[in-house]
Amino acid sequence: MGKIKMNKKGIFFTFIAITMMIVFIILFTQQPDLSLTRNSNGVLVRISSIDDYIDDLEKSYLKTALQTSSYKAIFSLIEYEKGGAYLADFNESFFEVASNGTIEDPYGSGIHVLIDTITGKKIMENSTMENWTKSISDTASSTFNINTTIKINNITALQSNPWEIDITLDANITVASNVAKWKKRSMIQTSIPIEGLSDPYFLVNTNGAYDNKIKKSSVIFNQWNISKAREHLRNGTYVHWQNSQAPSFIMRFTNSINPSECCGIESLVNPNKLAIPDNIESYTDYLFWTSAYSSRCIELYNITYPGGNPPYTGGLWDEFQYFKMDFDSLVRYNISQDSQNDALRTC
Amino acid sequence: MSLKKRGYFFVFDSLLGLMIIIIGIVLINSFYVKVRPPAQATLLSDDLLNFLSTKKIKDINNAYAGIGGVLWSQGHITNADNTLLQQAGELYKKKKYSVAEQFILNVSDGTVPTQYRYEVWMDNTLMYPRNPDAAHISSKSATRLLVVSRKITFGIMNATTAETFGPYKSEVYIWEK
Repeated sequence: MGKIKMNKKGIFFTFIAITMMIVFIILFTQQPDLSLTRNSNGVLVRISSIDDYIDDLEKSYLKTALQTSSYKAIFSLIEYEKGGAYLADFNESFFEVASNGTIEDPYGSGIHVLIDTITGKKIMENSTMENWTKSISDTASSTFNINTTIKINNITALQSNPWEIDITLDANITVASNVAKWKKRSMIQTSIPIEGLSDPYFLVNTNGAYDNKIKKSSVIFNQWNISKAREHLRNGTYVHWQNSQAPSFIMRFTNSINPSECCGIESLVNPNKLAIPDNIESYTDYLFWTSAYSSRCIELYNITYPGGNPPYTGGLWDEFQYFKMDFDSLVRYNISQDSQNDALRTC
Repeated sequence: MSLKKRGYFFVFDSLLGLMIIIIGIVLINSFYVKVRPPAQATLLSDDLLNFLSTKKIKDINNAYAGIGGVLWSQGHITNADNTLLQQAGELYKKKKYSVAEQFILNVSDGTVPTQYRYEVWMDNTLMYPRNPDAAHISSKSATRLLVVSRKITFGIMNATTAETFGPYKSEVYIWEK
């Protein structure tokens, strides 16, 4: 009897031991799972933070760098043109100056020098895209412990509206961390306003003597008259006409005086700012320096009072003597040749 | 009779042993549970940095730092399109540290629960608080969990001259008091 009871107790202890084994197995097999989850979360957080960085890199840092470099490159090219030379290819020069601050020496054969040495102003110093990408990479390295490589393929400048330049950066971005590597080709776009910049066309044609800064006229197309034209000429403001025959701002860097329908802008040449104020030309800027009317005096009008004796009571010659316009310009600015007697044939 | 008593003793002994093992396991597990999950502090840190890096001056209604506010009228803030973090970066570039401290204090007021302390650094320079008190320092050194979030701050200081500030390493540290 006693023997039988002892055997039953043995089974009971065995059962307890098996139960404990199961409990231990369950407990210890959970540990690797937890550890893996924890590690995965760590990697996820790291990847997420670098994703955010890349997003910021494209949408914020490179955009800011592109805006700064482009603006300074345009500014440098304007200074460069004060020397009296047009650019052969605007986009080629713009890319070179914006990316590394150099340009072909106008006095050397094919030698590329820092544009700052030509302009005599430290405009591009520490402000090229190469400078900025290095600076961003260094900061990212110390902030996130990652290696950022930005290879600039191209920077282009185009105009789709008269008052802004659209800049596009084409770059290969590589970001390497201890958990992953990101590689992508990125197109970053920004735009810079042209208002406040000097018109290179005026600068080149006067060897830097006549500096006319771009300022948009506030006059609406159907409100032009002789007094608005006076303000326009006095302030050197610019206007964009529908189906414009004038060149865009970018075209003015290369003396490409062709019509730009989307983006052509024109200003009036102030005779008081010229070395020789009396010229047989239309004083609309792109017509003046192309000598479009030099042999067509009969098509020009003095914007003055027909009486011709000072003090003038009409036209513009009381303030801008010798100012002339072609017929199309008269129509655009709504200057009447008959009823108001503001315009009189030059010849 | 004596055999039966011995049986109970063994059963009781095994149950006692099992209880000790279970209590031991519970205690071991409780060590894992008692470690405060970093989620809340991390969220707070990320939230504060995201708030500073996404909200613009023009977005906030703040009598001190907003448009038309004290700093605006004093000329310390001129660009309403700057994010709050960019504005702090601009003030750092201009070495206006005490203005930056007051700016951060004003814009971050109420964004972090009172049981937490925080610091804002710009390019390895403590911007807020500029002169931490002893309680702040001891709290930071004694904390078991200090969370940091980082971003890069970069912006244009003067649109006319294209003068810039940065890129700077911006950091927010948060810990429980």
